[in-house]
Amino acid sequence: MDKKGLSLKESVWSQLDRKAGAIIELTIRQLRHRLSTWVVLGVGVLIMLLLLAFYVDSVRDGFESIDNDGDSVDEDEDGYPLGQEIKYGHSDFDSSQYPGVGKYIPVGEIDGNDLLRNTSGNYSWFGQGILDPVWINMNYTGNEWDPIINWQDEINNCPEGEAFTDWALEYGSACIYGNGKYVFAGEFQASGSVEVPMGYFLAWGIYTDSFYVEPDPISMYIDEDDINWDGILLQSSQGFDDDGDCTRENWSEDSDWIYVDDSGEVFDNDKNGNGIICDVQWILDGEGNVIEINKDSNVDEDPIDEKFMGESSHRTFIIGVGKMAFVILLGLFLPLFLSLGLIRDETENGTLHYLLSKPIHRGEFIIYRLLGYLTVTGTYILFLSLFMGLFSSLLGPGENIIRLSDMPIWLGIGFATILVLCAYGALFNTLALISPKYGIYVCISIGVWEFVMGILTIANPNWTISAISINHWALQIIDSIVLIAWPDTLQLQQMSLAFNLETGLDIFWKPPAHTLGTSNPLVSIFISIIMLSLFTVSMLGIGQSIFKNREIM
Amino acid sequence: MNEIGNKSPSVMLDHVSKWYGEVIGLNDISLAIEGGVTGILGPNGAGKSTLFKILMGRLKPSQGAVRLFGIDPWKSTTPYRRIGYVSESERMYDWMTSLDFISTLARLHGMSREEAVERSKHVLNFVGLGDVYYKEIGKYSKGMRQRVKIAHALVHNPDLIILDEPLHGCDPIARTSIMNVIRELGLQGKTVLVSSHILEEIERITEQIVILNNGKLLAIGNLHAIRDLLDQHPHRILINCENPRDLAGLFIASEPVYGVRFPDKGQLEIHTNNLSAAHDALPSLIVKSNQKITSIENPDDNLDSLIGYLIGGINHG
Repeated sequence: MDKKGLSLKESVWSQLDRKAGAIIELTIRQLRHRLSTWVVLGVGVLIMLLLLAFYVDSVRDGFESIDNDGDSVDEDEDGYPLGQEIKYGHSDFDSSQYPGVGKYIPVGEIDGNDLLRNTSGNYSWFGQGILDPVWINMNYTGNEWDPIINWQDEINNCPEGEAFTDWALEYGSACIYGNGKYVFAGEFQASGSVEVPMGYFLAWGIYTDSFYVEPDPISMYIDEDDINWDGILLQSSQGFDDDGDCTRENWSEDSDWIYVDDSGEVFDNDKNGNGIICDVQWILDGEGNVIEINKDSNVDEDPIDEKFMGESSHRTFIIGVGKMAFVILLGLFLPLFLSLGLIRDETENGTLHYLLSKPIHRGEFIIYRLLGYLTVTGTYILFLSLFMGLFSSLLGPGENIIRLSDMPIWLGIGFATILVLCAYGALFNTLALISPKYGIYVCISIGVWEFVMGILTIANPNWTISAISINHWALQIIDSIVLIAWPDTLQLQQMSLAFNLETGLDIFWKPPAHTLGTSNPLVSIFISIIMLSLFTVSMLGIGQSIFKNREIM
Repeated sequence: MNEIGNKSPSVMLDHVSKWYGEVIGLNDISLAIEGGVTGILGPNGAGKSTLFKILMGRLKPSQGAVRLFGIDPWKSTTPYRRIGYVSESERMYDWMTSLDFISTLARLHGMSREEAVERSKHVLNFVGLGDVYYKEIGKYSKGMRQRVKIAHALVHNPDLIILDEPLHGCDPIARTSIMNVIRELGLQGKTVLVSSHILEEIERITEQIVILNNGKLLAIGNLHAIRDLLDQHPHRILINCENPRDLAGLFIASEPVYGVRFPDKGQLEIHTNNLSAAHDALPSLIVKSNQKITSIENPDDNLDSLIGYLIGGINHG
């Protein structure tokens, strides 16, 4: 008795272990001998390979720089891109307005009622009157006003014997008035004396010499204003105007051209109203999370794509694959194919009695069967997530060959998926036990529900209804792990919203919902694990009590 | 636990009944079985499998108590440590080798892997599959599969072995080999329950029988004693010979024979109410007739007649 007593604890445990080992091993070998196992596992691998191909083809491709704010265009085809025209205060819709073009400086004017109606000099003129020229610039191109008189083609004799005041000229034309004088209406450059009849208007001034400005290469306006944020927020005022289209360093002071900024609103170099010109204001909540980004016009609008868009797209890809392909698709289909028949098939095949005539409790038996199924599916998911992790981190942006920061995310995706496999496995197995015949239809209906709730959770995890699903909690785990492994994801998401950059990050990732008001992702992970475990355990319990009391023919 | 178990009979049923809805599977059965081979006889649907399933904790008795080594098998799996069960189901994991199959199941008794393989080889040798246990079960003949099932039930050296129709569908060679195995187990002092619907099968294995019919316990005891009772009742002997009428004349003069019939050409049917006496007289009469006899059959020497007789007996009683 003493001898037995001493080794009792050890022998009970080792016997349990051996029984568990034998059933788990048998289950694995059975699954290995089923075609459907290989089909569903193969389809999973295929989906992942397709996703990787998509990643290489479009996501990775998208890291090539693109002009997010659209200022690399040259609408008026004057050789100067919009960004350069903005800096100099010129319109990109007028080919005569471009950096370095001559500027008009007004000198004087005679309006309809002035008493003094004569003047002379070498000016650019605009209005109507009678010119006695010394020299006329036939190639005049200044266009402060329009239209410019074409002295070569449209000169005819004026109506004879009548005073100029008795008839009118069309704008942009002139006629010979006699004695070498001309009557004009329009803009031109000439030296001489001008007489303006009563009731007519004339203005004159000087055009500065135009000077040559080297057109900037278009590439300069593609990645020109990187988002200035080092990852640590010490001050709320963060960004500044790298490319000078907010400060407008070359702005011509007398330009009265009003134009819109990159967000389509009227240009304002202190749009966020914090008293600092051309900066970006980052507004934080109590926990130090960025909740809003307000920027002045044209600041931080075109980040370096490799750095920002590349990073965001890469993260979006991983989160999207983790949520859609792993949790929602594989998480549902693996149990649907592999867990439903764990007990049911043994009953149908008439092989159950071999197992049940052994000294094993039926409840124990369910657990070992599920462990066998989990060994197969869990190992598969783990390998698949590590495989995806390895390849995407090799292909992903960044200076290192392998992005180590991705690895916790992939492990988290694997972990969340395995919890889903546990929960569905226990649920489906129990349903198949309750009704071997109709259980499958209930499982499929639940699958549809779970799919919809999964999509709802991705769209908005705060909708309460989506919490009535297994997917919801698993997706929460991914959201939370993202925040732990990549703490700046929240910022990236806010940046894409603030700077109108379509990265997709805000579609696939939302801050975790169940943090009990702490914003701490660990709280959310903890709660989600508890929810999924509770569900799994209670399903197991129901399954066990049904199986225990079932008569087996 | 073991000590207590040892004091109780291996199998004990106390007024056990089982209904499937309106249908009665077992009707008020009380039994205690301990040691040796016991044949459970009964036609198809008599309740043999129901009885075994109740013993194996698959079914819950609607009424009454079942104890295996003193323990209720519906509530506890403890008795299965000492029980080997061969079900009527033909299905197995055909993709496994028999060694694999049996050693996997042996591990469910808490054996280590090595122990399980060693024990499995031992029992496979015992049932005569020692040279094929690395073959997949799918490639086995029916008799071999039946023996794999028996081996699986023996792997943990049980004290009680329950075999549900173990000879069903086997060829004569397998049948003989399985019967030898069962007899050997009985000789080893184990309690063996073996069911069959064929009297002759059980007769070759054991004398101790239980007869079930329509869920009721019809008879329990020694087969020979029951047969002796049967011998005193009307019985037929069917003889195929060249000239039945000549032979009939000889028989009708013999004491135990009270009637003859000629059911077919070349056939003689003798009616007797003392089967053993008739059989004793047979050889000398045949020699006397100087005829060539092709076969002698006892059409009433089967379970149906036995049951018919027993029911009649009960009715008369």
